[in-house]
Amino acid sequence: MIQKKICMLGGFAVGKTSLVRQLVSGIFSEKYLTTVGVKIDQKSLSVRGQDLLLVLWDLYGDDDFQKVRASYLQGASGYILVIDGTRKETVDVAWKLHELARKAIGPVPFAILLNKHDLVDEWVVKHPMISDLSDQACLVSMVSAKTGEGVEAAFFVLSEAILKS
Amino acid sequence: MSGSVHDPALLSVFDALIFQKTVDRFDCVGDLPSWFPPPGLSRETELAPGQLLEHSFFLQHFLHEAKAWWDSTETGQRKSGLWSEPAVFGEDVVLEATAVRHGSLRYVILQRFGPDILPIQPLLQKAREEQLSHRQAVKHHERTRAQLGSRLAKSEQERDDVMAVLDGLGLGTIMVDANREVTFVSAKARELLQTDPDRIIGRSLVEGLPWKTEDRDRVEEMRRLPGSQRQAVSVVMDGKNRSATALEVEVQNDPRDPRKTILLLKDVTEMEELRRQLVGPTQFHNLVGKCPAMRVVYERIRDIATVDVPVLIDGETGTGKELVARALHQLSPRHGHPFLPVNCAGLTDSLLGSQLFGHKRGAFTGATSDHAGFFESAEGGTLLLDEIGDMPLPIQTTLLRALQEGEIIRLGESRPRKVNVRVLAATNQHLQELVDKGAFRADLLYRIRVARLRLPPLRERREDIPLLCTAFFEKSRVAFGKMHVHGIAPETMQRFLRYSWPGNVRELQAALEYALIHCRSEIVLPTDLPPELCDVSPAVQSLPFVKPNERQRILDALTQTKGKRAQAAKLAGMSRSTFYRRLTELKIAPEESSG
Repeated sequence: MIQKKICMLGGFAVGKTSLVRQLVSGIFSEKYLTTVGVKIDQKSLSVRGQDLLLVLWDLYGDDDFQKVRASYLQGASGYILVIDGTRKETVDVAWKLHELARKAIGPVPFAILLNKHDLVDEWVVKHPMISDLSDQACLVSMVSAKTGEGVEAAFFVLSEAILKS
Repeated sequence: MSGSVHDPALLSVFDALIFQKTVDRFDCVGDLPSWFPPPGLSRETELAPGQLLEHSFFLQHFLHEAKAWWDSTETGQRKSGLWSEPAVFGEDVVLEATAVRHGSLRYVILQRFGPDILPIQPLLQKAREEQLSHRQAVKHHERTRAQLGSRLAKSEQERDDVMAVLDGLGLGTIMVDANREVTFVSAKARELLQTDPDRIIGRSLVEGLPWKTEDRDRVEEMRRLPGSQRQAVSVVMDGKNRSATALEVEVQNDPRDPRKTILLLKDVTEMEELRRQLVGPTQFHNLVGKCPAMRVVYERIRDIATVDVPVLIDGETGTGKELVARALHQLSPRHGHPFLPVNCAGLTDSLLGSQLFGHKRGAFTGATSDHAGFFESAEGGTLLLDEIGDMPLPIQTTLLRALQEGEIIRLGESRPRKVNVRVLAATNQHLQELVDKGAFRADLLYRIRVARLRLPPLRERREDIPLLCTAFFEKSRVAFGKMHVHGIAPETMQRFLRYSWPGNVRELQAALEYALIHCRSEIVLPTDLPPELCDVSPAVQSLPFVKPNERQRILDALTQTKGKRAQAAKLAGMSRSTFYRRLTELKIAPEESSG
């Protein structure tokens, strides 16, 4: 089985851990519990008849308190930039982390997930805000860690891109 | 240096998994820490310390990093940072790996951080929750501000629309707060007030409005009254550079805050002008009335006044013949000269002749000095010969000569004197009938009626009764000091309208004065009226010339005045001459009336 390291990147409380948990266990918790350090999970997928083990590096949210270490990105085959649709500032964090990843590991496939689609009425992030980022991404998708909407498909598409690259 | 230098007892103090790097592997040294293997994993997986390095993706990643560091010249230690790896260690196990070296020895120390010994977790959690909460509050605040801004914009738009509609309707708006200070003046109101809003806004209602004090006081009075009792206030503003503006001011409570007031200003100048044109004049000199018949009278007066010819004024007693004569004089070129009214009734030939034409000393008994008559006294002006139908025939002859020749001869003299007098004659009798009876000279009649004016009796112009009542009421109220009386009750007005008024306007005036004298309430009630008006039936109005109670009325008047005829005539609403004539016609003896 092929193993592929995928890093989850984004500001704090955008839902990185929840997305992984939804993908791995199909569980969602309303309670916000900040991630300290790195949390590593695994998910097996079959992509184009190829069994794949995704090693998911859920990195702590980047903010003034914790800065993501570039060394954690080493060896990643791809990454996911998670944006909270209800918080405009998470776009800036995603953009910054994208720059960090580019420098650390080069142009590997990445996906942009606009999370919390279940709260779409409260969304302030519009497509034009992420147009520069989305031009480079292999996928831009609106997902909900709460309902599971679009989560597995997003990882599947990214995996395909990784295998293709 | 090579070999192991560790003391197991010493290493156990760290409660850590410690690996020593050999050439091709990592060996676990010292005792296992208390947390290893983690609960639930020991029996099921039988995870040996050495297997960790193979199973843990993170450790493999870190060892790769550590090897590079050991090969470098950097000193100190290399930390992995905290991580958890549930698939290997189970839930809630947070670890940190540290690479160290001592001489040629290489170690990796694996330490566990549980919730009890990881103070950064709750601190970070709290900080981020607060940050989220703060951002949420800011977002809510921004959303609220946006909503309020939107509502404000909408509200302002609606206000502008309402103001545009009000302005379009010609309604000016002034808003007054609970402290009676003007807070808003609409564009139309500024236009109507012809003033800078800065001179009004922020000032009190009484001080700010550019109106007369009494108008401002009336508006203020309306403001204090309950809404149901308020009436529109009429305000006339003298224009600065234009004609006067008539405003109707309505005072209303602000529906959102009853302590505040809204003044609605409406320009009614044009409407007032139209109304004035529609209604026509209600007063002409001292004549009051707006009925068609009176308007004809006013027109005739204007036409006749400037033509210097005799005028015969015909009308029942009390219809205002002398007022017409005075108006004719005032409108004539003679208005700067005397106007003398002479009553021709009840005087002997010689006395009337003396009064009109004058006499010479000794012309008759009692003529102790030369005396100029009214003709001479009225030189250049106007002489009114009232009750000319009662003028004795000899005097009629002399008068005819005076009119024809423009000269008079004093009694006792033979020399004629030139006079320049315009003669007006008034009568309540049918002079043609008197001519037929031989009681009046036909040639004099033709001479004095070059121009004629007929005054309608009051019963023929009942629509003027309210107007007359108002005029007399205001005049008498002040004169009698009855300022507490504010009006005439509708029932009283009904009586006035139904009554036949044989004494015409004079009788109406007397009746109103009588009622005001007796009035004790704020309005004139039917019980305040003189007796003849107390039993008025609707049928009376169709009997214009019937005076069923005239004899009794005259007797009552004489009784009340203790036989004083002049006062009794006034009380009965008649001129003195008519009163005397009616005494004769009704055969009322002086002793009958004096009680």
